[in-house]
Amino acid sequence: MIKIRDLEKIYRTEEVETVALNKISIDVKEGEFVAIMGPSGCGKSTLLNILGLLDDPDTGSFLFNNIEVANFNERKRAELRKHNIGFVFQSFNLIDELTVFENVELPLIYTGVKSVDRKKRVEEVLDKMQIMHRRNHYPQQLSGGQQQRVAVARAVVNNPKLILADEPTGNLDSSNGNEVMTLLTDLNEQGTTIIMVTHSEHDARYSHRIIRMLDGQTVLENIMV
Amino acid sequence: MLKNYFKIAFRNLWRHRVFSFINIMGLTVGMTACLLIFLYVRFELSYDRFHPKADRVYRVVADIKTPTETLPSQGPAWAVPGHIKFDFPEVEAFTRVAPENLLFRKGDIKFNEANSIWADSAFFQIFGFKLLKGDPRTALKEPFSVVMSASTAKKYFGKADPMGQTILITSEGSPATITGIMQDMPENTQVKGDVLVSMTTITTQYAKGIDDQWSNYSPWAYILLKPGTDAKTLEKKFPAFLEKWSGKEMKELQMFVTLKLEKLKEVYLYSSRGDSLGSIRNVYIFSIIALFILIIACINFINLTTARASERAKEVGIRKVAGAVRPQLARQFLGESIVICFIAFLLTLGLSALLLPSFNQLAGKTISTGIFHDGPLVALLLGTGIVIGLLAGIYPAFVLSSFKPIEVLKGRFATGNKGNILRKGLVISQFAISTALIIGTIIVYTQMSYMRNRELGFNKDQVLVVETKSEKKRGALQEAISRLPNIKTSALSASVPGSGHPGAYSEVENVKGDLQITNLDLYFVDFDYIPLYNFKMAAGRAFSREYKTDSGQAMILNEAAVRMLGYHSPDQAIGKKFKQWGHEGRIIGVIQDFHYKSLQTPIKPLSIRMNWDNTTLLSVKVNAANIQKTIASIEKEFKTIIPNRPFSYYFLDEFFDRQYRNEERFGRLFLNFAVLAIFISCLGLLGLASYATMQRTREIGIRKVMGASVSNIINLLSKDFLKLVIISFFIAAPVAWYFMHKWLADFAYRTSISWWIFAMAGVLAILIAVVTISVQAFRAAVANPVKSLRTE
Repeated sequence: MIKIRDLEKIYRTEEVETVALNKISIDVKEGEFVAIMGPSGCGKSTLLNILGLLDDPDTGSFLFNNIEVANFNERKRAELRKHNIGFVFQSFNLIDELTVFENVELPLIYTGVKSVDRKKRVEEVLDKMQIMHRRNHYPQQLSGGQQQRVAVARAVVNNPKLILADEPTGNLDSSNGNEVMTLLTDLNEQGTTIIMVTHSEHDARYSHRIIRMLDGQTVLENIMV
Repeated sequence: MLKNYFKIAFRNLWRHRVFSFINIMGLTVGMTACLLIFLYVRFELSYDRFHPKADRVYRVVADIKTPTETLPSQGPAWAVPGHIKFDFPEVEAFTRVAPENLLFRKGDIKFNEANSIWADSAFFQIFGFKLLKGDPRTALKEPFSVVMSASTAKKYFGKADPMGQTILITSEGSPATITGIMQDMPENTQVKGDVLVSMTTITTQYAKGIDDQWSNYSPWAYILLKPGTDAKTLEKKFPAFLEKWSGKEMKELQMFVTLKLEKLKEVYLYSSRGDSLGSIRNVYIFSIIALFILIIACINFINLTTARASERAKEVGIRKVAGAVRPQLARQFLGESIVICFIAFLLTLGLSALLLPSFNQLAGKTISTGIFHDGPLVALLLGTGIVIGLLAGIYPAFVLSSFKPIEVLKGRFATGNKGNILRKGLVISQFAISTALIIGTIIVYTQMSYMRNRELGFNKDQVLVVETKSEKKRGALQEAISRLPNIKTSALSASVPGSGHPGAYSEVENVKGDLQITNLDLYFVDFDYIPLYNFKMAAGRAFSREYKTDSGQAMILNEAAVRMLGYHSPDQAIGKKFKQWGHEGRIIGVIQDFHYKSLQTPIKPLSIRMNWDNTTLLSVKVNAANIQKTIASIEKEFKTIIPNRPFSYYFLDEFFDRQYRNEERFGRLFLNFAVLAIFISCLGLLGLASYATMQRTREIGIRKVMGASVSNIINLLSKDFLKLVIISFFIAAPVAWYFMHKWLADFAYRTSISWWIFAMAGVLAILIAVVTISVQAFRAAVANPVKSLRTE
């Protein structure tokens, strides 16, 4: 599903040049659950952003479903992203002014799904995430765990092929964290590819494979048994 | 999707109520001010445009060139309009219009109708005023024909049909017939009359032969040109026309006339001939102020929206991650801005309707009777609201939609430097406009105060002027009033300072010993007039009962007349010869110049003579104590001696100051809109200051922990904004100086633009800004630092 080769990303300021990704190459197969680990500043999030088509690499190749996307412009990236990729963030990133239902509905609006179908789909997902009873609440009225469940619901509502999770349990206590990890595992078992950045060895153990990074490069890969 | 946008827009508005309030309030106040100014400007521009033939109607005016000066006259000689019609087939009709304050009586009902007009029979052919009853072609044909407005007719005839009824006119009580009832004239006409009396009454009864007079000037004259006639071509034929009819007379009198045509539609705003005219300059000034206020309100909108950008950044990021592309987001933010403008539009409608009566009062005329029933106006306002929404929303939409999702979601968002510079630039523009308006307001008020307090050269206090017209018993009235307690002295005259007066063809001996032909302003007075008003003699003496010749053969000049005749000192003029309106005699005295007109005009050469027959006004100097009682006793005497006329009087000081009514109105309007502009600017500043304070909460907390005092914090938060206000002052000062210098140039006597005006405006602007910012800064400064650190 994902094939990146010699990907390079360098952040430059007037005085400093920081190499975030240093000719990195990774493959992710469809249906895999991959965890990316490494110390802060090793380039995990940069890699995730590029994989999520939120950012573009400086050099290198990025094949997404055998299509070269490294040089896609903003519009093409957005198009590909909204049909294929879901995101889960550490800080949930829900829109405060929208209710639970409306937050989850958002990706469907941008993919042009009709109102009746949107309602049906959102309710299905909320039900699945066991948060239906909170559908009319606003994010600030929910606990952290509930907020992250909403975020996961939003990430999956479009049936994406790939979910990118950036430290999804980072702001949660262990109980809520485990719940979210279970959700992700379930999704993976249903066929969704998941790439997750995490600091937590515990969470990483839910994955099939751990890619460890240091200074913008992969240093080790562990296959989980 | 649209629903989602609106939902977000309304929830955002509600969630950030203070910002929303500031934004909507600023726009509402700005749009209301603009709407009211628009109504005012539209009203001013509408004068005399409603006449169906307005494009073909011209006012005939004259410039009269004497050996010493050129006198602009509001109308040509009485003979001119009729002869123009006779000579030029391209002229379809003419009417002379002579406004007068006429007395009308019907039984016991009597009124001085201040808006009476003598008019020729073609009046209704030329102007579009509607006759409800009567024949427009003949209503003003016969002598002693009267056409009344519906509401005036009601005063005299109640519900009875006035047509054909008799009413007594003028102090002589001549019977006249009601030949027409017209719809009340609208306010937006320069030819405003409540009662019209046929001009033939004058030309065939009161002043026979006046139709053939070529050196006696009528107030106004209007001609209707046939379709396709070019006014300029006609104007070029006038010199030959005048030469043919009055060339000889002009040479004899040494007064050479040039006739000019003024478009009816332009008389009110563009002509300088006449009172109660509008000013295109004021229309421009208020239009510019309206534009400024709108710009200030838009600037607030842009500033507050972009300042809040960081708060919306997360939402932008999420939406982009969820699949939104930039145009979609730009549309969303533009939509929000239009929603805000739409709310402001609704509030503007309400606020304008609420303020309209007060604004009508402030403007001194009914510029509009209502907002809601004016469909095109509401549509225009809605359109303006949407355009403002688009214009003010474009930049914030552009900025907000450009955020990179990963940056904003990671919280790495920082308000761009560009945005800051733009915001600063906008604040500077806002305050520059506001400060310029403050300077303008101070100068307008300084000039008003200068005009009110300038030494006029006579005593206008405690002088009551009773209108006696030419009632025969006015002498008896004067005697009776003189005997009343609390009356110091009284005098009869044809004019008082601030009132109208004739200009007289005169020949006066100049410094070379020649009889110089000139036009002198003329006051007819009696013996007691000069002492009553306390005019100071510069040379010679005042009129005296001791000299029998004073009543017909004596003239007093003012210093301006003496200078015009070439004398180096007033003494030199004493004993010199004069000829004026059939009287000959000598100059017996020179009075010091006094302002007998408003301070807009310079003091002109004035002649003063005695002529009891021409007196119509009784000036009464009263004691300050018990004024009401004194007036009551004067009224009692008046009603006993002149029972046929309503008692009408005024205080001279108020009467004189009424000449500044237009300037006062201008000043009041200017002040009000300047205050509004400042208010909106302050709203914006308040919003920005509170936002800046919010953004620096953590910094304030740390500084306080490190030992910063409340004043340190206020200083920290205020100084950035104060810098902007100070820069704006340096931009505003020269611009305001330039425009106000031009404004003052229209006054013959004017205050100087002193440095203190700028200092005061600068201090005021800074003070207003400091108070606005300090409210926010103080709150942040006194907050518990631990709390503010925790907030972060």
